Amino acid sequence: MLPLPRRLKRWFHRFTLADQSYRFLFEPGPEDEVVAVDCETTGLDVSKDDIITIAAVKVRGNRILTSEKFVAVARPEAKMNAEAIKVHRLLESDVEGGERIRQIMRDFLHFVGGRPLVGYYLEFDVAMIDKNVLPLIQIELPNRMIEVSEMYYERRYGNAQPGEQIDLSFVRMLHELGIPMLDQHDALNDAIMTAEAYVALKDMKERGVRFSRRRGESSGA
Amino acid sequence: MPNSFDAANPPFDRLSEREIDGMRDAIDIGYFRPGEYLITAGEPVESLFVIIKGEIEELDGDDLVALLGRNDSFDTRATVQGKGRHAFRARSETLAYLLPNAAIQRLIADNPRFGAFFYLDISRKLEAMAREEADTQQGSLMRTRVRDLFLQPAEFIDAADSIEAAGHRMRDINSNTLLVRDGERTGIVTGMNLSKAAVLHRMPIDGPVEPVVHFDIVSVDEDDFVFQALLEMTKNGKRRIVVKRGEEIVGILEDIDLLGFLAGNAQVVAGRIERAKSKADLVIAAREISDQVRTLRRQDVRVEVISEIVSDLNRRLIAKTFALTAPPDLRKRACLIVMGSEGRGEQTVRTDQDNGLILAEPVDQSMLDGFRAEFTAALEEFGFPPCPGNVMVRNPFWSKTADEYLADFHRWVAAPDENAMMNVAIFYDAAAVAGRVDLLPRVKDALIASVRSEKVYLARFAHAIEAFETPIGLFNNLIEKDGALDLKKGGVFPIVHGVRSLALEHGLAETSTVERIEKLVHANVLRADFGRDLKEAFHFLTTMRLDNQLAERAGREAVVRTATLGSTQRDLLREAFKVVKQFRDFLRRHYNFAMF
Repeated sequence: MLPLPRRLKRWFHRFTLADQSYRFLFEPGPEDEVVAVDCETTGLDVSKDDIITIAAVKVRGNRILTSEKFVAVARPEAKMNAEAIKVHRLLESDVEGGERIRQIMRDFLHFVGGRPLVGYYLEFDVAMIDKNVLPLIQIELPNRMIEVSEMYYERRYGNAQPGEQIDLSFVRMLHELGIPMLDQHDALNDAIMTAEAYVALKDMKERGVRFSRRRGESSGA
Repeated sequence: MPNSFDAANPPFDRLSEREIDGMRDAIDIGYFRPGEYLITAGEPVESLFVIIKGEIEELDGDDLVALLGRNDSFDTRATVQGKGRHAFRARSETLAYLLPNAAIQRLIADNPRFGAFFYLDISRKLEAMAREEADTQQGSLMRTRVRDLFLQPAEFIDAADSIEAAGHRMRDINSNTLLVRDGERTGIVTGMNLSKAAVLHRMPIDGPVEPVVHFDIVSVDEDDFVFQALLEMTKNGKRRIVVKRGEEIVGILEDIDLLGFLAGNAQVVAGRIERAKSKADLVIAAREISDQVRTLRRQDVRVEVISEIVSDLNRRLIAKTFALTAPPDLRKRACLIVMGSEGRGEQTVRTDQDNGLILAEPVDQSMLDGFRAEFTAALEEFGFPPCPGNVMVRNPFWSKTADEYLADFHRWVAAPDENAMMNVAIFYDAAAVAGRVDLLPRVKDALIASVRSEKVYLARFAHAIEAFETPIGLFNNLIEKDGALDLKKGGVFPIVHGVRSLALEHGLAETSTVERIEKLVHANVLRADFGRDLKEAFHFLTTMRLDNQLAERAGREAVVRTATLGSTQRDLLREAFKVVKQFRDFLRRHYNFAMF
């Protein structure tokens, strides 16, 4: 069977949602709000690998609400360090394996609500999340998806000459936006940097500004 | 938000781990497009901004005041006052951390060092604080109370009194501010108010002062912390606030005095000495010199720098006193010298007078006697207690002709009793302050020449370091007597006198202990690393001694109670005494004390 387009799936899922208490996922979120999300995983194979950490921050207009962040460690044994324990106050003994990730997903869904999700190669993160959400509510995430690398491509290469080398790497994108690199491989930092890129790119689009060809920076208004 | 907010960036480096975590949880990030205003002048401000990326223009009206970049924070003033005077506008695409005011205010209240940054920033003293050393031994600046500051006197006039009368009163009490009683109300009037009334508004000077009085006064209690006073001033836009003890007004705090306190107003004091026209003018300056010590130390200024500043001010004061009291004839023929710690430039807390006069030739006896008495009395009035050993201009023994000094030196060397050796030590540390300053080097060279080749004399001279035990045991344990240690006898004195002995032996002209050590290292008398240890030990002991003196207020004893020391300080003290012990061993061998 061909994969259904998400929009169609969304319509379909509205009726197949197992637990109707999750109906809020289909309600539109607060206006002008999105959630930037990033997962740290044990590998890149969705069927075999697991989520270690999942982090999300809300973005309201041009403001990144790091004060209302969501961070959870699903596989503490893979990330057993003081930082993780401090952030989640979850110790291994608290919740066992499967129940832990189910609880995290329930919390995550409530945190996100109906807001669109923003991510960098979001498809992968969402696939990872879907894998864990499916047993819970029998549907995939119905939220609208905003792909930051696409926004970047459009602002940076939208009028690319044929044959121009295209580099959509995360590091390159942040560099061209002048956003300082935080410690990578920390889901929260990645989510924050993604959110920073999102607000900057969104503003460039609104103002009709593109990256200048010569300097690796935006060309100002 | 873990990691991303850089807490090493001042002023956040003053926060504890717990405070940083709390702060991070409250932070948001804002994005601002070019031309967008982050702060509009006069509008309420909700957060402090710390720039992540981009450029921000600080604007005063249309004027660009500053261009801010990564890690810069603003607007501290608006954070304290709720709204800002300057506008802040994004020049390029900008990301900034938004630190909610409420959280900042809480930290200001809880963490004095963090709070100090904000208030000092407002006072344009940010730079000074940023360079401040991290370790504070003697309380924080912000733990000082208002009563410790210099206050203008609380002088009252009546609202019905004339503008002219107010002006005369100000002149009489040498203050620029008066309190005004008007029935139940109390107000403040300044010299500037009076001038404006008379000059700009052409008000009759025999008219009542009442219309120019400000009755909207702000007050603090004398037990309030200094930063509260500063907060009241900035919050209310007042340059003067009244200081109360209970209900009674006991003084007026002016912003200039507060700033002077924050910055250390050595320049102000120096200027005041320069301009002094009478002894009365100098009394104020003299008091301010002693206030400097506490002020500077509170700001963690290093003791050797404090000594330098204070010694310099003391010398200016003494030179000015000489200029005001010495008849012209004497000024042409006499050299005024300071000796002992003043001569070495190692004064901090005011000590006894140690001064003398070298005359080029005999002068009129009655004129000289008159000056001797007046000069010594004047210094006494300025708070320099008379020297118990009578090493003062007043004493003919310490004010005589160069030839008479030379004759004394021969006696001092030929019959080296304890007094004679003390005299050599005192005179060898002398520095010329005023008058015929060329006389001192000549006389001192003669002293050096007469003793430096006398090995036995020098050994006896140096032997004085054995007078007191250094309170450290065989196993480098601190030996306390009644839970206390004497820093001066056991540590400072052996260093000063040992170094003095070696300096004398090598004919050095320097007077300060540190400079002497450096010269001795240069002359290969002391090894370079030991010279460094010795200087550090000297600095540490004098610092601890000063902190102790300041803490004890009344007592001038250089006794430190070991129970009050932290373990690091204890360790450092032990190290310092260990160096003193090594130095004593060195001197024992060098001068062969075993022969006594």
